[in-house]
Amino acid sequence: MKQTARIISIHAADTSGVCSMLYELGGMVVVHDASGCNSTYSTHDEPRWYRQDSMIYISALTETDAILGNDEKLISDVVSAANDLSPRFIAVCGAPVPLLAGTDFDAIAAEIEARSGVPTFGLHTSGMNSYLVGASEALEAVVNRFCAAPVPLTAEPSANILGATPLDFSVLGAVDSVREWLEAAGFRVVSCMAMDGTLDDIGQAGSAHVNLVVSSCGLAAAELLRARFGTPWVAGVPVGEKFPAILADALREAAKSGANALPCAARSISGSAPIPAVVGEAVFSGSLAKAIELDAGRPCRVLCPLEADDRLLAPCDVRIADEDAAADAFAQSSGVIADPMYAPVCPAETPFLRLPHEAFSGRCYRKESLNLINRPLPWRL
Amino acid sequence: MLKLAVYGKGGIGKSTVTSNLAAAFARLGKNVIQIGCDPKADSTINLLGGDPVIPVMNYLREHDREPDDVAEISKTGFGGVLCIETGGPTPGLGCAGRGIITTFSLLEELKLFERRKPDVVLYDVLGDVVCGGFAAPIREGYASQVLIVTSGEKMALYAANNIYTAVQNFRDRGYATVRGIVMNRRNVPGEEEKVRAFADANGLPVVADIPRSDDINRFEDAGRTVVEGDPGLDVSRRFLALAELLLNEEAERNP
Repeated sequence: MKQTARIISIHAADTSGVCSMLYELGGMVVVHDASGCNSTYSTHDEPRWYRQDSMIYISALTETDAILGNDEKLISDVVSAANDLSPRFIAVCGAPVPLLAGTDFDAIAAEIEARSGVPTFGLHTSGMNSYLVGASEALEAVVNRFCAAPVPLTAEPSANILGATPLDFSVLGAVDSVREWLEAAGFRVVSCMAMDGTLDDIGQAGSAHVNLVVSSCGLAAAELLRARFGTPWVAGVPVGEKFPAILADALREAAKSGANALPCAARSISGSAPIPAVVGEAVFSGSLAKAIELDAGRPCRVLCPLEADDRLLAPCDVRIADEDAAADAFAQSSGVIADPMYAPVCPAETPFLRLPHEAFSGRCYRKESLNLINRPLPWRL
Repeated sequence: MLKLAVYGKGGIGKSTVTSNLAAAFARLGKNVIQIGCDPKADSTINLLGGDPVIPVMNYLREHDREPDDVAEISKTGFGGVLCIETGGPTPGLGCAGRGIITTFSLLEELKLFERRKPDVVLYDVLGDVVCGGFAAPIREGYASQVLIVTSGEKMALYAANNIYTAVQNFRDRGYATVRGIVMNRRNVPGEEEKVRAFADANGLPVVADIPRSDDINRFEDAGRTVVEGDPGLDVSRRFLALAELLLNEEAERNP
């Protein structure tokens, strides 16, 4: 059946992407919904929920409020909460009911900002897209709002990390490893968007020489920083043994030339023999596929089930729209590296390697999560 | 880009005013888009020789997918006016307001304005702002000015007041503002005094005075606007004068 998931899971929704991206930045996020998306987010999509405070709220939208278009209740509740909590910013975003009611979040944000004096933006989530769409819009909105003032370039080589959330990187040290690798490669990290960093760090993002886009949801912000400060971006995650050096060279070259680079998509295959496939978000999966090509000497493709800019995928990669497409693609692969919840649609004769992806299986396999940053891959392919 | 939304009581002549304005802008050499935002989907028919365009909602119903190109949901009418109709759901079912929002999202995805680069966009909207969907044409990024069409009839003025109040309620949201009143005469007793009293009470100008004219009906029977059919008629010149006024104001705002 098309566009259905009878057997496997689905990815976290755009509302979770917004919350995840903004979690650590000192802002208040309000999802305009009855409540269900909040419990899904806090239970499955947010590993920081019980150890780190944040201001993530649900509006408790009622049927009557939706029918009556009672935006005033939402606005006054948010303004009241903002007066109590003094957030650095406010983000309001929607779920399926506001989508159907046509709620105008830009207008609501304007009214909240006028009354509260707190920078506020509306985000156009609907619960109908993946976490990447929400996280991308949220990060772009933050950069748009807080990276407006001109800042001088740092004296030393420097970089921002764009697009890091636990939904793609979990909380087991992968982002710390990316940061350590960048510093070892000679780049001071100006900001990490948006884990283990602050809104003030992000305000200095324009001073970096280059931006490292570590997931699809960092690309829009990278494009905005390029338009505003001329900063080039490089898409890739330093996984495996050999790819990190290539990625570091790409960062140095981009900082020097000003040109963007996509080493995660610099892959090609020849012939039609089955090859291994990595399933997941485009930048990470593309980087892993490249690492497999370099470290194991095996060409590898990405099977991408998520929204991704065409530039982030190699010509050999395949978009998989639903579980039927996934099953077909798995059957044509010599092996599959994917979240364990994909295993039921992988043919028994196709080797399946488990690589938990928090955005797909939540906390279920967190203990199996792997930190692949700048180290040998754990599989024999 | 001049972006106007035309509101008014059902049957008051919004589509007649809007399509004649579109024809007038076209006669003045402008690149025009008219978007009908009424489930009846009859806004643009008199720009199209009586041969209607497929409404967006009908397209979605028939094809069960979104169009790949604006050409699939538009037709070019008199003077090159690009005609689009949102249409509506199956009568008695669905949500017409949501249909308008869906259509606007679709037109954004198809990059209508970026590719077409219109000088003028006209939104012809259902009489009452009954829900969020019918306010969508005046949201930020869409129409920046509203024209309210009314006669001197009591219920037309009542609807005009409701529309004005609704727009005023949105003033903190960055929505469109009311530019003025188009008096579409029905020749009721004391008509001009009644309309001007309403306009004055709300600080609104009467930007056009359209006489009741059999010529409008005569050309509409042939699927044409009077501006297309005979631009020299007094009623046609009223539409052309309004178009010139609005264009001149836009040129002053954005030289």
